[in-house]
Amino acid sequence: MLEGVKQIGVNEWEVPIGYVAGMRVPGRFFLSESLGKTLEPGAVQQLANVATLPGIVKNSLAMPDIHWGYGFPIGGVAAFSVDEGIISPGGVGFDINCGVRLLSTPLQYKDVTGRRDLIDELFRTVPTGVGAKSALKVSQQALESMVVKGAQWAVKAGYGVERDLMRCEEGGFMKTADSHALSAKAKQRGVPQGGTLGSGNHFLEVQVVHEIFDPAAAKTFGLTLGQVCCMIHCGSRGLGHQVCTDHLKALESATRKYQIAIPDRQLACAPLTSPEGMAYFGAMAAAANYAWANRQMITHTTRQVLAKMFRIDYEEMPLIYDVAHNVAKIEEHVLEGKRMKVCVHRKGATRSFGPGSADLPTDLESIGQPVIIPGSMGTSSFILRGTQIAMDRTFGSTCHGAGRIMSRTQAKKKLRGKEIVANLLKEGIIVRAHSDNAITDEAPDVYKSSDEVVNVVHEVGISKLVARLSPIGVIKG
Amino acid sequence: MSFEEISHTADIKIRARAPTLEALFSETFNAMMQIMYGTNRASEIVRKIRVESSDDESLIADFLSEVLFISEVESLVFSDASINLDGLCLTADLRGELFDPVRHSGGSEVKGISYSGLEIKHDANGYMLDIIFDV
Repeated sequence: MLEGVKQIGVNEWEVPIGYVAGMRVPGRFFLSESLGKTLEPGAVQQLANVATLPGIVKNSLAMPDIHWGYGFPIGGVAAFSVDEGIISPGGVGFDINCGVRLLSTPLQYKDVTGRRDLIDELFRTVPTGVGAKSALKVSQQALESMVVKGAQWAVKAGYGVERDLMRCEEGGFMKTADSHALSAKAKQRGVPQGGTLGSGNHFLEVQVVHEIFDPAAAKTFGLTLGQVCCMIHCGSRGLGHQVCTDHLKALESATRKYQIAIPDRQLACAPLTSPEGMAYFGAMAAAANYAWANRQMITHTTRQVLAKMFRIDYEEMPLIYDVAHNVAKIEEHVLEGKRMKVCVHRKGATRSFGPGSADLPTDLESIGQPVIIPGSMGTSSFILRGTQIAMDRTFGSTCHGAGRIMSRTQAKKKLRGKEIVANLLKEGIIVRAHSDNAITDEAPDVYKSSDEVVNVVHEVGISKLVARLSPIGVIKG
Repeated sequence: MSFEEISHTADIKIRARAPTLEALFSETFNAMMQIMYGTNRASEIVRKIRVESSDDESLIADFLSEVLFISEVESLVFSDASINLDGLCLTADLRGELFDPVRHSGGSEVKGISYSGLEIKHDANGYMLDIIFDV
């Protein structure tokens, strides 16, 4: 482990005050010894930088998929007092409410294995990659509703069923969205991209439930062994990117105005209660809503493809759950025995609310929320459930994925797209993408083992394993 | 004038070198376009832009953010830029063409320009810039 970092428990490490100047609270992260071998000093420095921000409570945290990002580390979680704390786009990122959802189907492994036509049709129908525009048109007027009502707008527009909303974090939209805080540029970027996947690590994957660890939770969530599911990973597209760009600039001035000392320009921030802080919060929530609507629209397209190809009903494909992993939200948490409202930033981290928490539908109250952890291309994804331990220790948060360990430059030197596709095909996984680069950039070898990352959160108890899903087909940007 | 990709785990880090600040900005612009749209980019259309900022680092970030915006909403892929700097005011002629899915789909979408690690250095050999693109 890196110098200056102290082990304080199994899979648990502390970054003491003083690791960087001005830390207000210690940093804390969860990582196994073996995952620690790939930990970058830059990521720990970023974790420590977050601890210097005004109003931070308890700890600057990171999940076991921690890696070097910009502003916060990826996998970073921090909560700030709503009265004395800040809000920062550096704690959310450019892709606001990048998130993941899992859609179930009545199909079994035997129905879809080797079905290249299914993957081809999804690749043809769901717009992916740079420059892709949607066939589902969103008018300027509809965009206003989309950013205010998120997935609820999408369902009303015919892109889903009412029950889908019960299965989205926040019911599919943040009520604090303020469309007036969006620039004309952000709106202009949002109009043509509703229902598009994007590029990079975004994907749509056809998967099979391969293993069940917690039968009771799996049953409640609606998962059975051998069942075919679709996982959709994407975010708020150009609209969200523009919100971050616009407000980062505004908050840079605010950082000076409120005389906040920051160790990294990407941590530009303002008091949550300030006009600048509230404007970012309102715009960020609007972008988050755009992302929920976007995933809902892609869900609609996916359901239509499956319904037509396998002659199944749209209603036979219920949504298991939808989680955000780049977002800031006002939540109530217990600190030193007292309930208090805090602004929780999750940057590449997933909410993991335990049994009895607010925002869970009645049938999930006793189990905790479903937590969806996508694997890298060709590796397992996992469904876990939220826990009380997460509520007590991580502001109800857990990891969000495997976490990269190899840069894109290294990947291009070491790996060849065609070889990766051929090897995955041998394992029964069909891959469609626009280019070799898209495949080498996201090859299984560039990520930590998702099994190992998930085992850490399971052992620490900040989410518990429910099921493993294996991919059989993937479309990428 | 040159640019190279420096190893960065999560995102794309570019190091550019050039004799002048204008050429440095132009090289960084080329790097971003290449990452997004590949090397097959024509120059049939000219688009003029003007950006003002508070310091050199902000100016390059604001310039590239503006390029991202124009490229996305107008479906334009740029091949090169003639850049003029007057203090902290940048004017540029961007030359490019309309986005062609066949030639331009294979790249990585740049989501934003990060201030983390953004640095411009100047010495006797000219200018050097490090910048991280969120992809």
